[in-house]
Amino acid sequence: MLKLHDLFKVYRTDEVETVALNGVNLEIDQGEFVAVMGPSGCGKSTLLNIVGLLDSPTDGDYFLFDENVAKYAESRRSVIRKRNIGFIFQSFNLIEELNVAENIELALLYHKMPAGERKRRVAAAMDRMGIGHRAKHMPGQLSGGQQQRVAVARAVVGNQPLILADEPTGNLDSVHGQEVMETLRSLNAEGTTIVMVTHSAAHADYAHRTVNLFDGHVVTDNTRAA
Amino acid sequence: MFRNNVKVALRNLRKHKMFALMNILGLAIGLTVFVFGQLLLRYEATHDAFFEKASRTYTIGALAAPELNVGVDKINAMFSALAPIVEAELADVEFVARSEVREYLVGRGDESHYQAIRFADPPLMRIFDLDYLHGDETVLEDPSSVLITESAAVRYFGGTDVVGETLTLDNRYDYVVGAVARDLPQNSHFNSQLIASVDFELVLPIQALNRMEDFDLAGGWSDLSIGNMTYVVLPEGLDGGWLEAQLDAMYERIVPDHATQVIAEFWVVPLTYANLSIWDAPGIPVVEAVQLLSLLVLIVACVNYTNLATAQSLGRSREVGMRKTMGAERGQLLTQFLVESLVIATFAMTVAIASLEIIIPLFNNVSGKAMTLDYLATLPWLVLTVVAVGAAAGIYPAWLITRTSPIDALRDTARKGRTGSATRSFMIGAQFAISAFMLALVSVVYMQNQKIKEESYEFPRSEVYVLQRLEVEEIRERLDTLRFELAALPHVDAVGYSSQVPYEQYNSSTHVTRQPGDEAGRFSIQILSMTPEFLDAYDIPLVAGRNLSRDIANDRRSEDSRALNVLVNEMALEQLGFASVDEALNQSFYDLDEGDAAMEFVIVGVVPTQNITGLFNSLKPWVYWYQEEAMRIGSVRLTGGNILDVIRDIEGVWKRVIPDYPMQGRFLDEVFEDVYVVLRMMNAALAGFALVALMLALIGLFGLAAFMATQRTKEIGVRKVLGASSVQIARLLVWQFSRPVMWALAVALPLAYFASNLYLNFFAGRIDTMTPILIVAGGMAVLMAWGTVAGHAIRIARANPILALRHE
Repeated sequence: MLKLHDLFKVYRTDEVETVALNGVNLEIDQGEFVAVMGPSGCGKSTLLNIVGLLDSPTDGDYFLFDENVAKYAESRRSVIRKRNIGFIFQSFNLIEELNVAENIELALLYHKMPAGERKRRVAAAMDRMGIGHRAKHMPGQLSGGQQQRVAVARAVVGNQPLILADEPTGNLDSVHGQEVMETLRSLNAEGTTIVMVTHSAAHADYAHRTVNLFDGHVVTDNTRAA
Repeated sequence: MFRNNVKVALRNLRKHKMFALMNILGLAIGLTVFVFGQLLLRYEATHDAFFEKASRTYTIGALAAPELNVGVDKINAMFSALAPIVEAELADVEFVARSEVREYLVGRGDESHYQAIRFADPPLMRIFDLDYLHGDETVLEDPSSVLITESAAVRYFGGTDVVGETLTLDNRYDYVVGAVARDLPQNSHFNSQLIASVDFELVLPIQALNRMEDFDLAGGWSDLSIGNMTYVVLPEGLDGGWLEAQLDAMYERIVPDHATQVIAEFWVVPLTYANLSIWDAPGIPVVEAVQLLSLLVLIVACVNYTNLATAQSLGRSREVGMRKTMGAERGQLLTQFLVESLVIATFAMTVAIASLEIIIPLFNNVSGKAMTLDYLATLPWLVLTVVAVGAAAGIYPAWLITRTSPIDALRDTARKGRTGSATRSFMIGAQFAISAFMLALVSVVYMQNQKIKEESYEFPRSEVYVLQRLEVEEIRERLDTLRFELAALPHVDAVGYSSQVPYEQYNSSTHVTRQPGDEAGRFSIQILSMTPEFLDAYDIPLVAGRNLSRDIANDRRSEDSRALNVLVNEMALEQLGFASVDEALNQSFYDLDEGDAAMEFVIVGVVPTQNITGLFNSLKPWVYWYQEEAMRIGSVRLTGGNILDVIRDIEGVWKRVIPDYPMQGRFLDEVFEDVYVVLRMMNAALAGFALVALMLALIGLFGLAAFMATQRTKEIGVRKVLGASSVQIARLLVWQFSRPVMWALAVALPLAYFASNLYLNFFAGRIDTMTPILIVAGGMAVLMAWGTVAGHAIRIARANPILALRHE
């Protein structure tokens, strides 16, 4: 599904040069559930941002569905992004001015989709996440776990084949964290490819494959037998 | 999507109430001023359009000859001689008619009062289609009939069915009402306050003038005066350019020499422009100024909004990042932010329209205009304005906030960095430049007005009671009696008669030379006819020689005088080439305008050079002589006493001596105000614009200071922990805004200098303290800016540092 070849990401600020990704090679197939682990500053989030087309690599190739998207401009990336990728963030990133249903709908708003269809899919996603009764609430009125469920609903409502989760449980207690992980697992079971950055070994166990990064390199890549 | 955008916009407004209020208020102020300015101009520029032949009707005015030297460039009035010539020579012209304005004592039964009347050629009623209640447009063809408008009919007769009733002019001449027409709408040049405060109420045939004052029906070339208009209707296919070309071709042949020194060229004015053409006279670009000022205010308001919105939008970086992550393209986000500014502009316009609904009736009340806010006609334009303002004000913040990459936006780097801070500083500077420019200009205009006012006290303004309208034959015969009886009253010091009093903008002049027939040495001199007591009434001292006397034959000008004793002012002496006052006494100079039989003037006295016409006029050479027939105004000098009692006494005397004419008296103060009011109103209007611009700039500064303060809260906390004092913190914040304000002054003051110069050029006696005034005005702008920012700065600087650190 996606293939990273010799990928570099270098941040330059005045005199200092920070190498975040240092020749990463990684291939992920459709239907995989991959956990990316590693210490702080090893390049996990950078990797996820590049995979999510939120950022572009300094050098190297990134094939998404056999198309090299590494050098694409933001306008082209945004089109590919909205069709193929859903995001879940540690800090939820819900928009304060929109209620739960509207936040979820946001993921469909930039697709050319009739309003009726949007409503139907938003309702389905909310039911699935068990937040249907919160549709009119504003993010500020929800608990952290509920907010993350809204964020997950927003990530899945577009039926994108790839979901990227950046420490989705980082801001949650263990009970809510587990809830989110169960949701991701069931999504994966239905065929969605998931790439998740996490610090928690327990949560990494939900994935089939664990990739360890250190100083911008892939140091281990373990696949568990199903 | 659009609905969603509007919804988000509304929620954002609700969430940030203070900013929303400032945004809407600022834009609303700008829009109110702008829309009002445009409506006013539209109102002034669409006068007379309702007349059927309006598009084919023109008035003929003239460009003033340079020799005229009365501070007038163009005048939309014409000598009465032109119309008959146009009628005789230009066969293509459909209609031509003169209209002369005079004031007469109009009476019905025992009651009579002074009223302005139009005397017109009969075709005038074919050029202008009135709505007749009784009678028709042939009314002026009968030399003894009068057309009266509805409200005047009600006033004089108590009803409108009055055809056949009689009005008496000057107690002697009877005219029969031949037609009653509905009042003309207020937005006609006939009723325009711009032209003269002469409402269109009574119209008489021009033959009536011939009957009452020997008016030559063929017209003359010496009666150019505001209000005396010549109207022409051209057939379809011919335009004003054609008419002007025809007139230009005739000019040299038909205009006599002496009149070429008054008008240099004919000036054809479309009827619909006739109302505004008055501003071409002094050459003050009033229309353009209103246009420019209202636009400047709107720009300041837009910049204000842009500034606040930019600052605020930085706080929404994360939202933009999220939307981009969800696949929003930049265009879609731009649309979202533009929709938000459109929503605000719409709110602002709603507020503006609501305010105008209150302001316009008040303004109409004060100004006597009939402006309306016609929604049907102006709606497309109002909508366009909202869209333009929304787009212009919103495009920059929208562009700025959607520019960042999604990952930067999510990380909110923009807020932490200095994105757009240079532009914001620039915009604050631009706003301040405009306000400081206006403030400086207003100060100069104000000080110049003050100077004019101060100099006007050269004459005892509040101690002279003037009696007007003495030129009627029946009154003139009794002037001596009146003078004796008035002078005998207690608290009356002197009673003088003259052809004009100070501040009246009359211009009576002739050309004189030292030697008879010396064309090369000629110059123009102003004439004031007066009785000897005039000098006493105004405390005018004699520099040398003697006053004029009633007892010396040559002191009084008559039909057959060939030599006349006169007084001159010192400036006239200088121009005549006399080295000293003593050398000039009993010397002669000559009038050139009287042909071969040159009149000889003998100087018997010299008075100081005073600015008789005052206001914006320059000092001029004057000659004072005594000519009975020229007296038209009396000056009664009062000394103390209860004003009301004294005036009642004066009125008593008048009623006894001249019972058949009402007294027309007022203080010299009011004569001065007549003209001064124009200057004062210009200053008030300018001050209004400046105040609004300044207010907007301060709102902008206030909002931005509030915003920047929250932005820097953490920094302030750290600084305080490290030992910075409250004063240091406050200074830091104030200084942040001082630099753009200083830059603004550097731009605004030179521009204000330039503009003030242009304005002051209009005045002969200009203030010499322009530069200090500009600097003080600039300093005031800076102080106000500091004051606005400092309030915030001090409050924040005083807060407990831990509060600041906990922020975020």
